[in-house]
Amino acid sequence: MEQAGLAAVATGDVSLWSLFMQAGIIVKLVMVGLIGASIWTWAIVIDKYISFARARRQFDQFEQVFWSGQSLEELYRTLADRQNVGLAAIFVAAMREWKKSFERGARSPIGLQMRIDRAMDVTLSREAEAYEARLGSLATIGSAGPFIGLFGTVVGIMTSFQAIAGSKSTNLAVVAPGIAEALLATAIGLVAAIPAVIAYNKFTADAGKMSARMEGFADEFSAILSRQIDEKLQPRQAAQ
Amino acid sequence: MKGSLGTSLVVHVVVLVLAMVSLSAPKPLDVAQEEVLPVDLVPVEELTQMQQGDKKAQPAPKPSTKPTKNTKIVDKAENAGDNDVDLKTPPTPVKKPTPVETAAAPKPTERPTPTPTEEQNQVKDVAKEETAPKPQEQAALPTPKPPEPTPPKPTPTPPKPEPTPPKPEAAKPAPSPIQAENKSDTGEIPDTPPIPAQRPTPPKPETPKPVEEAKPVEKPAEKKPDPPKPTETAKAQDKATEKPTNKKVADKKQEVAKASSSKQSDFNADQISTLLNKEQAAGGGAKRSTSPAATGSTKPANAAKLSQSELDALRGQIENNWSVIAGIDGADGVVIRVTMKLDQSGAIIGRPEVTASGGSDAARRTLEGSALRAVMRSSPFKNLPADKYDAWSEVVVNFDPSELL
Repeated sequence: MEQAGLAAVATGDVSLWSLFMQAGIIVKLVMVGLIGASIWTWAIVIDKYISFARARRQFDQFEQVFWSGQSLEELYRTLADRQNVGLAAIFVAAMREWKKSFERGARSPIGLQMRIDRAMDVTLSREAEAYEARLGSLATIGSAGPFIGLFGTVVGIMTSFQAIAGSKSTNLAVVAPGIAEALLATAIGLVAAIPAVIAYNKFTADAGKMSARMEGFADEFSAILSRQIDEKLQPRQAAQ
Repeated sequence: MKGSLGTSLVVHVVVLVLAMVSLSAPKPLDVAQEEVLPVDLVPVEELTQMQQGDKKAQPAPKPSTKPTKNTKIVDKAENAGDNDVDLKTPPTPVKKPTPVETAAAPKPTERPTPTPTEEQNQVKDVAKEETAPKPQEQAALPTPKPPEPTPPKPTPTPPKPEPTPPKPEAAKPAPSPIQAENKSDTGEIPDTPPIPAQRPTPPKPETPKPVEEAKPVEKPAEKKPDPPKPTETAKAQDKATEKPTNKKVADKKQEVAKASSSKQSDFNADQISTLLNKEQAAGGGAKRSTSPAATGSTKPANAAKLSQSELDALRGQIENNWSVIAGIDGADGVVIRVTMKLDQSGAIIGRPEVTASGGSDAARRTLEGSALRAVMRSSPFKNLPADKYDAWSEVVVNFDPSELL
């Protein structure tokens, strides 16, 4: 460590790679960890961006189809076999419950309504969970990244001061590389943390919007189904 | 997720590689090698206070005392000098002992001759008469000493004028008496042999003439021929011939009187210790100086100054004892300046000098009086730092009485 630092002083090599190589094992671990965190952050960011964009597109498409006046039975038949996400999943879950209840000849309209709502809620929470997945790790990286980087800096400065004490020179050329190398850890920590914080804020907001939209749809669909139930049950009761 | 992780990884690698290429090494700061300016912290006293030096020497950029010979260095010495101990007293001159020794040497020879007081008185009277002619004889001789060195010479009166001329010729003030002594005591020096040879002759009034005439011839040969000398010697010859044996006796008595008087004046019981003291110099400081002497103060440069608070304390002691009469007409703008000398205990020495300026005459007089009373009443002053006595041995305090009203 001391020799590396002194060698850097001798050569005047202050490039990024040499700074990294001069660093101690702890600082190196911190740096590597922070770079990994940065990679993970950006992976989540890219993934979320793509999935949210796709989900939004699917929502739009589904809503277009749903409100187009198409028969819900038909829509259900087309969607039932697919892997559905978002609004479609909620729709399919509700329709499946509806179908099952009517095929077996449900007697209580209130019980049917409640079952359909439950099924929609479960699906909705599952979908919302999918949207919010991994946002927690973004939050962690955003808040802990600077601290981890600071830890690396403190350790690096400690070791570089020890090296200075060993070399018995207070020349700035001796002090500077060690501090620069230690500060690199904080820099990497900030580089990882800042996008993580921004992305976390953005994606939590997006996920909130998405689940609100899903809830709105679920309520609307629940109202439609409730009307349908009333319409279907009254003729039966009248017939009896 | 895998795809996005891969993408992120690739992007990071690309960014890091780009960073390493582009941010490889920042340009080293182009720091111009500026000249280093040496900065000294100099207390203002070094420039404002007079610095130790030699009052008589030529001015130089840096005041300096006379170079010292003693090379032994004494710690914390403040006063310049060759002494081994740092003393404030000036060094006593080294020359003093030597004249005392010369005066002491002749005494034993003279002791047998002294006579009772009456004779001395007579002699003195006679001497006054005879001293008158002497200036005539030896008008050219500047030194009053001539009689003293003469007594050691064994022979009587006439030689007197003779030995004296050689001294002015030699023109050396200090060594001459010693030479004279040496001549008289040992007779080794070549100048003396001719003189004894001549001396037997003078008692006989007639014979000396040729011999003494011959002498002027001899002397020029021996030493530098001075134009006044032949005339003096001629006069001396004349007088020697004119004056009978009475004069010899009178001269003798005169010599005795002078010797005894010199003996009396030189002897001082208090100075015995100094006479016995063979050490080169007593007193003087121990601060060494190697540079040539330059103008400056005789006081050490780092003489302590009274601080403002110490001065204020002193002023406060006076003000406490000062009863300023309120309502004096024209007391505004009177400034009183008190100059006083203090001893080590803080008591006033002598009468403090009080001067007032500004305001009306009556107010000035009144305030001067009250200031003087206040100063006298507050003596001895307390809480003056003993180690700074040099600074407050003489103090000047200014007052504005209007502040006290």
